[in-house]
Amino acid sequence: MHRIAVRINGKAYGHEVEPRLLLVHYIREKARLTGTHVGCDTGNCGACTTLLNGQPVKSCLMLAVQANGAELTTIEGLAGNGLHQIQEAFLDKFAVQCGYCTPGMILSAYALLKANPKPEEGEIREAIEGNLCMCTGYQQIVDAIGHAARTMRMSGSR
Amino acid sequence: MLNLDELFVTRKWVGKPVRRDQDIRFIRGEATYVDDLEMECGHVAFLRSIYAHARIKRIDTSKAAALSGVLAVVTGEDVARETRPIVPRAITRPATQYVMAVEKVRYVGEPLVAVVAEDRYLAEDALELIDVEYEPLRPLVEIEDALREDAPLIFEEAGSNELLHEKLEHGNIEAAYREADLFVKERFRLHRYSSTPLENWAIIAKHEKGDDAFVVWANDQQPGRSTTNVCNMLGIPNSGLRLIVPDSGGGFGIKLAIWPYIVILCLLARRTDRAVKWVQTRREHLLAGTHAPDARVEIELALRRDGRILGLSIKDIQNDGSFIHTAGIYGLIKFATMVGCYDIGATRAELVSVVTNKGPTVQNRGVGKPTMIFVLERMVDIAARRVGLDPAEMRFRNFVQPGQMPYSTPSGEIYESGNYPECLRKALSLSGYEEFRKRKEEMREQGRYLGIGMSASIEPGTSNLGYYYTHRGLPEYMGNAEGAIVGVDYDGNVNVLLGSVDEGQGHATTTAQVVADMLGIDPGRVSMSTHLDSLISPFLGHSGCYSNKFNDVDLGAVIMATKKVRDKMLRIASHALGVEAGELTFRNGEICWAKDERRSIAFKEIATVAYKKILLLPEGMEPGLKEIAYYKNPAAKPPSKANFNVQLTHSNSVHMATVEVDVDTGAVTIVKYVIVHDCGTQINPGIVEGMAIGSTVHGIGAVLYEEFVYDENGQLLSTSFMDYLKPLAVGLPRFEVAHVESPCPTTLLGTKAVGEGGAIGSLAALANAVEDALAPFGVKVTSLPITPEKVVRAVRETGEI
Repeated sequence: MHRIAVRINGKAYGHEVEPRLLLVHYIREKARLTGTHVGCDTGNCGACTTLLNGQPVKSCLMLAVQANGAELTTIEGLAGNGLHQIQEAFLDKFAVQCGYCTPGMILSAYALLKANPKPEEGEIREAIEGNLCMCTGYQQIVDAIGHAARTMRMSGSR
Repeated sequence: MLNLDELFVTRKWVGKPVRRDQDIRFIRGEATYVDDLEMECGHVAFLRSIYAHARIKRIDTSKAAALSGVLAVVTGEDVARETRPIVPRAITRPATQYVMAVEKVRYVGEPLVAVVAEDRYLAEDALELIDVEYEPLRPLVEIEDALREDAPLIFEEAGSNELLHEKLEHGNIEAAYREADLFVKERFRLHRYSSTPLENWAIIAKHEKGDDAFVVWANDQQPGRSTTNVCNMLGIPNSGLRLIVPDSGGGFGIKLAIWPYIVILCLLARRTDRAVKWVQTRREHLLAGTHAPDARVEIELALRRDGRILGLSIKDIQNDGSFIHTAGIYGLIKFATMVGCYDIGATRAELVSVVTNKGPTVQNRGVGKPTMIFVLERMVDIAARRVGLDPAEMRFRNFVQPGQMPYSTPSGEIYESGNYPECLRKALSLSGYEEFRKRKEEMREQGRYLGIGMSASIEPGTSNLGYYYTHRGLPEYMGNAEGAIVGVDYDGNVNVLLGSVDEGQGHATTTAQVVADMLGIDPGRVSMSTHLDSLISPFLGHSGCYSNKFNDVDLGAVIMATKKVRDKMLRIASHALGVEAGELTFRNGEICWAKDERRSIAFKEIATVAYKKILLLPEGMEPGLKEIAYYKNPAAKPPSKANFNVQLTHSNSVHMATVEVDVDTGAVTIVKYVIVHDCGTQINPGIVEGMAIGSTVHGIGAVLYEEFVYDENGQLLSTSFMDYLKPLAVGLPRFEVAHVESPCPTTLLGTKAVGEGGAIGSLAALANAVEDALAPFGVKVTSLPITPEKVVRAVRETGEI
């Protein structure tokens, strides 16, 4: 067992964990933050996307011990009690169907818009290439991210 | 269809793209999928067969059972002792199958042993300690293998590997053949694929020791049927199972087959007296979850020289793998759309369901209709070339015309409404069909190969559940229906419970829109839990989310229950205000006198009378303000071989795909994609558009990327999303979606199916487009998927994809 300490959404967590414990299982089962999902176990679907020190990572491809000392952001930490503009845009543009891919999709979009506040449609599509959605066919998600980019630019937020 | 002006007191919400604010939990990461439930559980892992076909000689679980942290180990032998076998729905030959492998394994991935341990990692460790001795048998992978004369029998008691073989004729097929001037015939091969919901299957089962009763949480798509199956197989009374379905991360039919695992989890819960949890891995899902079957289809059209199709013959052989519960269904359900959008007077169908050592099959999005429309729409293009007509003109000549509605197909399927020519006209115009033909020639001179393809398809909805028993006597299920409870709470807000579940369709918002317009309130005042609980939700054998029944019977039940509540509110208001009920009207959460709106009573006050100040109720009226209603589709016919309807609503669409094919790399790029869709009255166009596009992308995946590939030993080679490729945001076109609205006369709101259409129509549209692009090489598309490798080979050598 190894002792790890991480900050998730600004809150400190510390646990004894097995070295083989996946980060996604740590987030879900130890930190009890269940907005981060498991869809494929092989790093293809992106449902487990989490921000690790600001960068999107697939938390099913990392061990919890590798995240020791890191700052993590999950969907629950994106906007406090309200909704982030990306979340608003996902509602406005019908970018959610079953919701299972949504947290990972939103975090990938968040990382994109932080780096590139004015993405072209092709850039949006590339940014979510690692996130599978089985319901929407992506079009409304792409539109939502474009819409979020516009509202964020207008309000000057990042 | 009801008179909507009478039904609705406002027209503010139905028809508008109302935001899914009821589902805000999904956006915030606060949804509750089964795996999210906070509960102390034992964790389950399955040892699965490594052979496709083998006798089980010995299973030694002693070391696994002795591992510290292991709570229970259960084998197929235990299952056979403690449960009853699976009851098949459509097959005509006897076959015995349990929910785990007993004596024999029949596919790679079939569960052999279940282990419960303190955590999943430990349970997986325990699997490593189990020793199984197999006696391998000859694997029967493809249809041809299973039908060979010397093939071993997969189910010995069946006496054949064909579990269903049915020949059905409707209309005067011989006369059609006599009158025909020419015949076109082709053989097609369809592959195995699946719509793979992003959330895998997940179950928690808890045992209530005193009563030998179970509480189960599962992402089950048809709880109405699952509860019956599970209770029967465990031999417990219906009161012994409470099934709860929380949020579900997509279904697409694939979650209709979870109940065998619910049976296993209940056994494990009983053994351990612990709540036990199983969350399927993606590998398990792809290997031993469920697929759409692969198929071989021969189809022949009998035509007049002018292009009119007089008759259709089909021989359809489905590789149903090794799950007897649903075997045969893919064949039979084709009658929902056997003649597609066309006025074809006679059909002959030979339907065969073959068992093989491939994995289980279940009703994947569209169920058999994607295959039927694929072969039919390919044939219409082939026939058009034979008679020298443009494919669009060929379709115009054969369409069922709007004036023929309601139209009965030869087998008795009733198309209740639709304007097929208008959909095609619109699609031709949006896709720039005529201009494209010119552009194509110019591009070809530059060495680029572009093509355009179309398909016109029916999207049937609301299954008439008796259809697959038409040859086995009276079925256990018939027709289709759903139940709903609508109540006005103490605070005057409205609460809805439905017997169905939500797989991501936004039922709560759609329902809120309908109820809001019926009661003159804001949809924000209508809440609906989409979590089903068999103990408290209204419930029928049909209950669940499948075959696009929501817009029809589910909303039907909501409407009927809301009407009951509304009538009661009017009577209470009439009594309280001293005004005739006929003179009352609904306004912003109040009921008021039409002649003087100041005389009014708020919903909250009405609810107070109904629940609390019950002495103020009109004489003889029961207290309470909550009503239950069950609603059944009125068009369902009882099963009969001569005249039956498989499904009860019929949407339609035209898909037009423009593609470019790189003949050197074999890559197919979709340049433009137009969907013209008619699902009758739309309640929420934002949701409808998402379904139309999403289902189309399922079809695109099936045509261009996805295939469950088996080797000759029956080993599945595509067991992760690295090998089983799904469409990504990159590589898809921007879809143009347009609508035609032909309201359905047999549903209350005029609505029709919307969830499956794209998965049905897209296959042929793309295949026809690829064939058009490769016309200079004379390439014929007779199989799916259209992979780069097959394209290159077809262009260089074979001439056939």
